[in-house]
Amino acid sequence: MFIRIVVDSFARQPRRKLLTALALALGTAVATATLSVVLDVGDRLAREFRSLGANLLVPPQADTLPLEIGGVDYRPVASGAYLPEADLGKLKTIFWRNNIVGFTPFLDVPVEVRVDQGSAGNQPLRSTLIGTWYDHSVPVPNGGGSFATGISVTAPSWRLAGRWFKDGAAECVLGSAFAKRTGVTAGQKIMVRSGQRSLDLLVTGIVSTGGQEDEAIIAPLDMAQQLSDHQGQYRRLLVSALTKPEDTFSRRDPGAMTPVEYDRWYCSPYISSISHQMQEELPGVEVRAIRQVAEGEGRILTRVSALMWLVTGAALLAAALAVAATAGTTVLERAEEIGLMKALGAGKLVIGAFFLGEQWFIALLGGVIGYGAGLALARILGQRVFGISPELRLILLPVVLGLAAGVATIGSLLPLRNIIELDAAPVLRGE
Amino acid sequence: MFWRVLWRLLRASSGRLALALVAVTSGAAVCAALLNLNLDATDKLTSEFRSLGANIVISPEPSANAETMDTSLLQNISALRAPELIAAAPYLYISAQAGEREAGVPVIVAGTWFDEVARMNSWWKVDGQWISDRGERTRCMVGQQVARQLGLAPGKPLLLRYGSREAPLQVSGVVTSGDSEDNQVFVSLAVAQELSGLAGRASLVQLSVRGTSRVFEDMIQRLSLAFPELSVQPVRQIAAAEGRLLERIRGLLFGTVFLILVLTSLGVLATTAGLALERRRDVGLMKALGGSVREVMHFFLAEAIAIGLAGGVLGAAVGMLLADWIGRRVFSTAVEPRLVVFPVTLALMVLATLAGALPLRLLGRVRPSEIFRGE
Repeated sequence: MFIRIVVDSFARQPRRKLLTALALALGTAVATATLSVVLDVGDRLAREFRSLGANLLVPPQADTLPLEIGGVDYRPVASGAYLPEADLGKLKTIFWRNNIVGFTPFLDVPVEVRVDQGSAGNQPLRSTLIGTWYDHSVPVPNGGGSFATGISVTAPSWRLAGRWFKDGAAECVLGSAFAKRTGVTAGQKIMVRSGQRSLDLLVTGIVSTGGQEDEAIIAPLDMAQQLSDHQGQYRRLLVSALTKPEDTFSRRDPGAMTPVEYDRWYCSPYISSISHQMQEELPGVEVRAIRQVAEGEGRILTRVSALMWLVTGAALLAAALAVAATAGTTVLERAEEIGLMKALGAGKLVIGAFFLGEQWFIALLGGVIGYGAGLALARILGQRVFGISPELRLILLPVVLGLAAGVATIGSLLPLRNIIELDAAPVLRGE
Repeated sequence: MFWRVLWRLLRASSGRLALALVAVTSGAAVCAALLNLNLDATDKLTSEFRSLGANIVISPEPSANAETMDTSLLQNISALRAPELIAAAPYLYISAQAGEREAGVPVIVAGTWFDEVARMNSWWKVDGQWISDRGERTRCMVGQQVARQLGLAPGKPLLLRYGSREAPLQVSGVVTSGDSEDNQVFVSLAVAQELSGLAGRASLVQLSVRGTSRVFEDMIQRLSLAFPELSVQPVRQIAAAEGRLLERIRGLLFGTVFLILVLTSLGVLATTAGLALERRRDVGLMKALGGSVREVMHFFLAEAIAIGLAGGVLGAAVGMLLADWIGRRVFSTAVEPRLVVFPVTLALMVLATLAGALPLRLLGRVRPSEIFRGE
């Protein structure tokens, strides 16, 4: 009986019901779209922030004081501690291994440079040779396969004219300032000397970084190791990791946490917990967060997420307004029907249940359509802005359906109450 | 006559009208707040990005074979009076000895202007005190690694030596940055110049410039023209990330705000459409009294415009306050009210209410007798 009445009412006024469902679909579509986008925005932006490059610096513990300006170490080769290159694969075995986007070891060697045939004459020039990886394949222990990393990942903003050196080849890339000073161009050969050892390197490109590297020579790590006689070693590691912005919880001292809190901290991708896990895997290192990147990123991420949540709140409000307004109107249009039902002896509860059932049915219908449309909208928005569509979240379906039903209920309850309170006779007389 | 009827019309159904007014007002408030926020977002975000630090570096032209440059360019930079320029800090790097003669440790000493550095490097964590005076001669700040190696803490003395010259200083604060700065000692530019004998020289100047990519490129152009003998370089890492992120965030905000504007307008439209359909009885009466369809329509359109205007004005004002509140919450500064938001919101609301009154056209077909029979 109940179902028959509801179905009947749909059959009699298909157009009006369709309109209400459409309004609901629209509301849920916008709610779904903004929610999917905002739930993803932290991850997406964190990934975008990786274009800033590394956010963790790993020097050896108990090192002598580096003579460092802008990331280039000017210490002589003999002083200071070194770290084993072979351990690096372990970085991809930590709990948050998938958040490690890339890492690059560095070994800086002070060198004397002689240009093959050149304008600089025979006078040897002093410079620094930075040994590093460009695109290096690191074996991951415990059957983890291999992982390609290097400055292609940790310093994506460096601009190169020419091509990068090949791993392990006797090639190098010159910093733009150094190239300008010496007049060396790609294709020429230079000779670098450190102590008794010397190497001939083919220049394959000129790189511009806007930092101290512009004054240096960048070569494969192997070359720097040969030149400094530190086989299989490096002095400084830069790590680019996806992290969660710091909050008051992450700033607490892990040593003073309860076991439950400690687990929560360990299993959150805070920069401090990732540092801690890296330190567990690499003995003899110290892990420091590069505050310029980490702080700036955390600050901007927090603000933008807050902004997007507020905007989403506004979207939900607007959706609720649209739905409530339509739901309210449909109830008011049916005053006569309600009067008739009352005259035929229906109780308030029955009438209420009948109308709410109808509203919920519309909400469900419109909600499902809206959810689909919202996902499509979110895809378009995500593709246009980030080039990647947001993750499909099924959890949103019950959430938006619940929201739609709830808002439709609230929107129709108020007018419904007023009408139910009315006497049947005047309503039926059309007053 | 027209106005009197309109007034009666509005008064008679005050309950429903109040509801419609609430709907239009809240719709307008949401629209105005988001529009205002959207317009101000670029400004706010570019300011936020300055927390990333310097994005332009001026250094001696490499082919000139000079390691330092004249600091007189700093006056020229401030003479440019560019409002986009947040801070400009010179640096003079020298490799000095720290400590007494027999226990000296080589260390990089950076001479700079502390007041500008404080504005540029907001991410520095300082234990102890920042130095705020540009010409400070007796105190210095040390990197965290330097402090650890030399056993320094705020308040302790530190002797810097360069050749035969000495500078006895007191540590004011310990800097933690996680980068090269941890291994440096920061003194004021004048102290470093005296110590090294390089009076009036600096190794490089860092600038922090606020603005979109275009403003940024313009600034680099202007600086290159102003200092042809120097090399003006963007800090690629910062500049590239900034441009990319700004574009992304703006796109996202614009997309969402656009969706919400459409939705809000439709919500307002639905409300007024409901209102219009309720007017059937009034239309019937007016027609029975001999009003023409056109005349009757005028009343209802005027009613719709009145609601749209009233709700729009009220809502736009509320929305501006809302935007201001959001700005304070999110960016901790007020959002500048943009006047263009006002007419746009108003127009949007009036259009939506008018569109909502469109079903009234159907009322032209209404036959009074049917209405009064209650059909």
